[in-house]
Amino acid sequence: MDFLSPVLDGFGVVFQPDNLLYCLLGVTLGMLVGVLPGLGPAATIAILLPITYNIEPTSAIIMLAGIFYGAQYGGTITSVLLRLPGEASSVVTAIDGHEMARQGRAGAALGIAAIGSFIGGTIAIVALTFVAPLVSGFAIDFGPAEYTMLALLGILLVTTLGTGSIFKSLAMATLGLLLATIGQDPLLGTARLTFGSDQLLDGIDFVIVAMGLFGVGEILYNLEALRKKAPKAAPVGSVYPTRKDFSESKGAIARGSLSGFLLGILPGGGATMSSMVAYAVEKKATKRPEKFGRGAIQGVAGPETANNAAATSSFIPLLSLGIPANATMAIMFGALMLQGITPGPLLVEEEPQLFWGVVNSMYIGNLLLLAMSLPLIGIFVRILKVRAAILAPLTILITMIGVYTVRNNVFDMYLVIGLGLLGYLMKKVGFEPGPLVLAFVLGGILESAFRRSMRTFDGELSGFLGEPIAASLLGAIVLLILLSVLRAVRSRNKATQNKENKNSDVTPAEREPEDGAEQRDRDPAEHP
Amino acid sequence: MTTPDQEQEARPSESYARRQNVIAASVLFVVGAGAALLSWQLGIGDLADPGPGMWPLIVSVAMAVIAVVLVVRSAPTGEEERFGRESLVVAAGVVSLLGYVFLFERVGFEIPTVALLVLWLKLLGRESWLMTAIVSLSATTAIYLLFITGLGVSLPHIVHF
Repeated sequence: MDFLSPVLDGFGVVFQPDNLLYCLLGVTLGMLVGVLPGLGPAATIAILLPITYNIEPTSAIIMLAGIFYGAQYGGTITSVLLRLPGEASSVVTAIDGHEMARQGRAGAALGIAAIGSFIGGTIAIVALTFVAPLVSGFAIDFGPAEYTMLALLGILLVTTLGTGSIFKSLAMATLGLLLATIGQDPLLGTARLTFGSDQLLDGIDFVIVAMGLFGVGEILYNLEALRKKAPKAAPVGSVYPTRKDFSESKGAIARGSLSGFLLGILPGGGATMSSMVAYAVEKKATKRPEKFGRGAIQGVAGPETANNAAATSSFIPLLSLGIPANATMAIMFGALMLQGITPGPLLVEEEPQLFWGVVNSMYIGNLLLLAMSLPLIGIFVRILKVRAAILAPLTILITMIGVYTVRNNVFDMYLVIGLGLLGYLMKKVGFEPGPLVLAFVLGGILESAFRRSMRTFDGELSGFLGEPIAASLLGAIVLLILLSVLRAVRSRNKATQNKENKNSDVTPAEREPEDGAEQRDRDPAEHP
Repeated sequence: MTTPDQEQEARPSESYARRQNVIAASVLFVVGAGAALLSWQLGIGDLADPGPGMWPLIVSVAMAVIAVVLVVRSAPTGEEERFGRESLVVAAGVVSLLGYVFLFERVGFEIPTVALLVLWLKLLGRESWLMTAIVSLSATTAIYLLFITGLGVSLPHIVHF
């Protein structure tokens, strides 16, 4: 089979000792940042971007990918043991996972999460192997009109499907697009919005934006809680689930793999949303919904499987269309560009070694993570004791020096501090940095695609309707906007209703799943 | 990620959150409007042959419009947090970072790095002196070895081997 030979060649790339080492390094780092609350995978990848300059492209991406899916495994540990989700994608796991830990079943929760993650991740890699080249093949003839719509749809999906307020996310997306215009006009070379500064003439480097908003921003935000003592972790016990645990969660793992894979492909979907959807699905599928919130193993198995499947499948739009599906993928996009590789439909043809090397490395990475999450879990649980007060100054230093090494330029360091401050303020006021970073990345693509299509269409906006694929993407955009408006109106009605009977009880089931953990704490009486 | 307890502490009152939202949206509006003006001055051309200002103008007008919507819909979304005494730690952090960069170029990275670590560990983090000394000295050495010796990056430095 012709199709399979580059796939098999990819294994040759993976089994080079260097790449195995980078894969191990990546997943270990991912596991670590997953365990350590505060620094997420996006921030970690952003901080490490300058270091990847010096590494061979395939190895670099193998490592960064490892950090991303490794963090999905690690995030579970703090969710279960401390009810303190290390990652947003493990927030729902905390609900039943921590309840299991309180009943002395922490080990079973962690074990089933690790096994579910492994199965979900592996199924998603297999599916990715077949789907990604298919999408690439379909997208290979995309012109500027299609890319305009695709980039626009990507930004809109991320803002509307994200966790925060739609308008706040939209505002951040436009800010990202605006920041992307700083520097020389891509076609004419005119200096735009540089305020006469030569330093800004080349535009703001993507690395600086990612490191500032995610890296420095998160570190500053966590400074507020620096002196707080770390809560005590629940004891783990045996991590090997029993036969009963397996039979109870096998359905959840199967459903989680499927929903996670599908939602991961969707821009704006990704790990966080798929874990929430999986939780809701399991609650609907079970015959005993009353067990949810009181230590139901399906409530751990479903979301944890789904977030890993989604983490893997979110590579599809990036590697086959060149459109990042979420903020972390936007940073991956930046990492590829740094290496001189443009992700897109041509990638699988032009860089088969890189493409299949990275994809196949995920099998190894997931195996390594399974080992780390079962027999080696004790090591990672011990890391929970590392104090934030020691970690924060070390990460900020690596960030600052890393920024300097990008261009050997002190101006970039000031810029990253400024963007870090912006990131901190945004978090305090309830704005997500994700849409900004994603829009910043897509800004360049969107502008040049839009301008080139306008030239072909002779300035007629209706030209987009003449291209069947672009037109259907436009239709999707219109549909999406209509749906969001509808949702906004409905939530507004709900809000006024809630105001009217303010003191009436809102059951956790009626709340968004992301509020679950917090809600439970406020109403302990509801869960005796 | 914060714990639920911290979240509850940080939750502002409704009027506080609303005021915060209006201020944030107004800042966005001013930035959007300002950028629109600057883009206009760059020359926008027409759709068939866009000038350098066309795209920034579209983006900044969109931003200003969304900012207006945000002013109108300023009801708290539940994601706002109040600024309190602990925010001063962040201010101190930012100032120390600016000082770090200022000195970085002038006296090499070693002394500012140790100083920044001592400041963050001891003053911001309230670690013990022993811990502060161990971490700051070993971290500075590790950075030297990683970036200068290992990766061969040309950091400004005063210690030469």
